Amino acid sequence: MQQNGEANANTGRAGRVVLTAALALLAISVATSGRTQEHAGEKPRWWSPGDGATLPELAVYPNASGHLGILNAGGPVDTRGHPFFEPIGTNGRACVSCHQPSDGMSLSVQSIRERWEETQGADPIFAMVDGANCPNLPKDDPASHSLLLRRGLFRIAIPWPPRGADGKPFEPEFDIEVVRDPGGCNTDPVYGLNSPNPTISVYRRPRVVANMEYVVHQNFGVSPFVGKTGEPALRDPETGKPLNMNMMADARVVTLKSQMNDAARSHLEFAGRLTPQQVARIEAFERQVYAAQVDMGAGGSLVEQDGPPGLGPYNLLHGARGVLGNNTTRWVIPMGDAWQSAKPDETAETRRMRESILRGQQIFHFRTFWIRDSMHLNTVGLGNPTKRTCATCHGMHMTGLDTVNGWMDIGTTNLPWAKEAPRNPWQTEDELMPLFKITCRRSAHPHPYLGRVIYTQDPGRALISGRCNDVGTIVMQQFRGLAARAPYFSNGSAGSIRELIDFYDRRYNIQYSDQEKIDLGNFLAAL
Amino acid sequence: MRMFSVSAVLALLAAGPLQAEEQGRLAFVACPIVQDTPTVPCWLVEYQGKTYYMGIQTDVSAPFNPPSLGHKVLVEGTPTDREICGAQVIEPIRISIIPELSPECDELRMARPGVDLGFDPPRPPGPSRGRLAFDYLDPPPVPQAPFAVRNFTVDYDFEGMVGFRTPRILQPALEYAQQSKASRLEVTGFRGATRLSDGKLLEEHAGIARERAEEIVRMFRGAGLDTEFVIRAGDEAIEGGPENRKVDIRIVP
Repeated sequence: MQQNGEANANTGRAGRVVLTAALALLAISVATSGRTQEHAGEKPRWWSPGDGATLPELAVYPNASGHLGILNAGGPVDTRGHPFFEPIGTNGRACVSCHQPSDGMSLSVQSIRERWEETQGADPIFAMVDGANCPNLPKDDPASHSLLLRRGLFRIAIPWPPRGADGKPFEPEFDIEVVRDPGGCNTDPVYGLNSPNPTISVYRRPRVVANMEYVVHQNFGVSPFVGKTGEPALRDPETGKPLNMNMMADARVVTLKSQMNDAARSHLEFAGRLTPQQVARIEAFERQVYAAQVDMGAGGSLVEQDGPPGLGPYNLLHGARGVLGNNTTRWVIPMGDAWQSAKPDETAETRRMRESILRGQQIFHFRTFWIRDSMHLNTVGLGNPTKRTCATCHGMHMTGLDTVNGWMDIGTTNLPWAKEAPRNPWQTEDELMPLFKITCRRSAHPHPYLGRVIYTQDPGRALISGRCNDVGTIVMQQFRGLAARAPYFSNGSAGSIRELIDFYDRRYNIQYSDQEKIDLGNFLAAL
Repeated sequence: MRMFSVSAVLALLAAGPLQAEEQGRLAFVACPIVQDTPTVPCWLVEYQGKTYYMGIQTDVSAPFNPPSLGHKVLVEGTPTDREICGAQVIEPIRISIIPELSPECDELRMARPGVDLGFDPPRPPGPSRGRLAFDYLDPPPVPQAPFAVRNFTVDYDFEGMVGFRTPRILQPALEYAQQSKASRLEVTGFRGATRLSDGKLLEEHAGIARERAEEIVRMFRGAGLDTEFVIRAGDEAIEGGPENRKVDIRIVP
């Protein structure tokens, strides 16, 4: 079983599988819930486009920490002819290609590597349009796909200068230069910044397409103006209503409909627009699918009927959407009293894991540290620094999302905090990520923490807003199904849950003990 | 132009009577200091050998929003006889984070015996225990006819533009404009100047009045308000307090 928060990224998939008491526990809990389930085999199932099988009401897949559950609240999904599962574009991909049920409706780098090995790079996920560092590279060379194979990153091509809501370019507050371009795309005469269609290529992880009722909620904090910045919120083009902008890393599109059209065009190379029927079927599927860990292997079930109310996909299905957590009536991740004392049939290993998860939940909610120089957190009235906890930013009940529009810079892409390969005479590893130099113009305020010159691997929201203060800001992700979908952060810079925790520990000088890291890691893996 | 330098502006000063200080009111620019406590941190500032208390860390919508290390802060307020965190309380107080970076402002004092708030903070450093320092107000009733001309005022920090506090004004103004099917919005920007306690005059940069008015119009347009906008702005810096850093919005049905 997993003894600490590491996702054991280097362990073989077979080695990740735990099929001991966990399955028995899971079978019991599933049986008692009266649900059907897909087999929990030794390997997570890969859903190829056009597979045609039925996705059960509850599908259970192994991962390094135990098993993940994919719950279809609408019942089993017949994927034959379903536009989420069929290769509707020209490159053979379907939505499911990059939103695999076994990977928490995202795509783990382990799955990507396995697909490369099994198909010699022929799987549609390696399509040159964005599955390569740049479309003009040799297709069969793994080096052409290094960002995907090593970090799980797809190329996102963004026009420059940014476009307004009317589609017209507008003047950004900053100038951008390409400092380093290992993928070659940003300096390419056809695809790059100085091409006839100036474009910036950034590289990002596929986001989770599950628990979407939380992600696109219309509840707390959704209003005509963004609560953190005061700017107008994007609106639904059909209803005119302001929307939550938490779906994509840069909030460039904000409705499920606009996202699926954007993705079909850019990732599936689909010409034209999806039909209303296709849109309706995809949206209906996305709104009813829930993903969460269902057991921790020998560490025990997370979905017993009297178990913690914050764990497992069934509780996600029934949870309140888009509300801020507190610690009396509605914790961010409520654990209840079920695990406070040992149960008669509980193994010692299960007991230890549950106690660790409970401690991790307390760390998440109560362990304070100084949060400093984080754009759109320290600038929204809390002070800089502010003595708070993980739950301050990750405050949405059941998901750890931000309830309001959640783009923020914690340093995952901006230097000096972003992960960079060390440079010295003895190391041979070249940095994978591009590097941009941002110079904020005199007509704008300087960035409050980084000044007028900023180096970044991905300008994030700033590529859309054109604002200096948005450089490196990324919309935060939900916390569910984490164990199934390493690596983490938008640029895949944390290879495991432990590396994710280590990033925060360094960034904010938290000084977690090793035990705290283990407990917090187990808590996160249990989500 | 938003390029701003305290020293540059101060160079334009004409030393005048220490009017502000004579009235008991203080206005000065200094580095903020964080003083940790067993609960939430206090925010302090030192001026002319005295340590003043500005406020505590609370929550987004609290009346006092703390400043930022790495930046100087403009403090405008009146000292009282009370002490919190071992420092003299300024109340009422208005603070503005100076936009340019000041890396020398980097003092975080650890919690130590004898330094505490003396009261329970309205919002602890962790989750709220059911309490928040603020409550989001219930939405005001939808404006009803008959509609008359109505005015709203957006206030600003020194050198401030639209930020996290602005929606508190823009939202009801937008609602009123939409419900009244406003025929015109007149948006007037202002530029302020503060006489510091040492006699120097601290002015907002030239042009900020128009920038503010234009930004507010962009906010309304971005929120979907399709009506006529009239932008007005004067470039004279109006000497006084925070009340001069504002945009007036006049909604004409």
